[in-house]
Amino acid sequence: MSERYSRQTLFPPIGKSGQEKIRSKHVLMIGAGALGSGNAELLVRAGIGRLTIVDRDYIEASNLQRQQLYTEEDVAQKLPKAAAAEKRLKAINSDVEIRALIADATPEKLEELVDGVDLIIDATDNFETRMAINDISQKYQIPWIYGACVASFGMSFSIIPGKTPCLNCLLKTMPLQGMTCDTGGIIGPAVQMVIAHQGSEALKILVEDWDALRTSFVSFDLWRNQYASMKMSKAKDSGCLSCGENPTYPYLDAENRTKTTVLCGRDTVQVRPPKQQQLNLQETAEKMRDLGYQVKANPYLVSVEIDENRMVIFQDGRALIHGTKDLAQARSIYQRFLG
Amino acid sequence: MNKLLFFAHLRDEAGHESVEIDAAGKTVAELKRMVAEKYGVQKLDSSMTAINEEFASNEEVIKEGDTIAFIPPVSGG
Repeated sequence: MSERYSRQTLFPPIGKSGQEKIRSKHVLMIGAGALGSGNAELLVRAGIGRLTIVDRDYIEASNLQRQQLYTEEDVAQKLPKAAAAEKRLKAINSDVEIRALIADATPEKLEELVDGVDLIIDATDNFETRMAINDISQKYQIPWIYGACVASFGMSFSIIPGKTPCLNCLLKTMPLQGMTCDTGGIIGPAVQMVIAHQGSEALKILVEDWDALRTSFVSFDLWRNQYASMKMSKAKDSGCLSCGENPTYPYLDAENRTKTTVLCGRDTVQVRPPKQQQLNLQETAEKMRDLGYQVKANPYLVSVEIDENRMVIFQDGRALIHGTKDLAQARSIYQRFLG
Repeated sequence: MNKLLFFAHLRDEAGHESVEIDAAGKTVAELKRMVAEKYGVQKLDSSMTAINEEFASNEEVIKEGDTIAFIPPVSGG
């Protein structure tokens, strides 16, 4: 074991054997925003074997206040988060095999990616994706760690199939629309506190120290000095459709998915085609220029100004429509050009 | 008496961090309705509830002396 991990192996619950376990593990990170940046950096520095990181978005100036992997240069280049994260993470630790995907974490995409994965970390900003992660976790018996934050408030809970209740067990009281950074803003320390909780549980899972896991649902408010730890043993529901006696994994069904999503914190709608595509972005950019629109392009995306909206098109056929929260209007703009 | 704790934005809506109320014998669902009316809290339906730091369903009945915390789920990340 190299000197690089000496301070971590000196920590008795990890030790040399724990470090070897960490090195042999594959983590799937869903999201490369604030939680994704911090969790990914932490695990890459800790020396995991493989990291797969998935994100659908690109970097904007308003991300820099808390998304620790990104720079002003990344904003200027409008880089996708996954691409910029991959570059930065490889510079931090070249021993880790890092695979970054610029894609939406749909149930199909998750099914494609879970083979050989030891742990899934939730760094998404919406409950639709979390419920899909939750079903995938139960179907393939892979632990996952829920984390979320808004304003000065944050929460985390580790879901271990066969041991703990799952997110769907809590859904009776946890609806699909939680408070988002759209309404509450967010401060950096709240992000870091969630990362600290997710990251420590992740290390425990990776070194297989199951007895050390926190089994409670933790929540805190750093501004108001509140900290709560909720015991979850009574939350498990034997009739749960995700983790109960007769699971159907409802959130993996096509009917439970939307093709348009309002993105957290912005006046933006994502439109996703029913089937993944392989667009020729250069051709798309030329076509839009020929139509008289103002177009900016890089190898990952094409950005087009359409009246008061801006459409950013990715190679997999997805588009972000900025300047609207109206799903129908967004779908209409998308279909006008890519339908 | 029972102590109610409001987390995150619920504290702003309620105007208090905690209140004392007599809720013994009520279910969690009944208490949520009562608190929503009395303190003008909007989103209690979507909040998780802990009784004495343990997750509680809407059907659970509150006992004298229980401390009840309302924790709203968030989705930012």
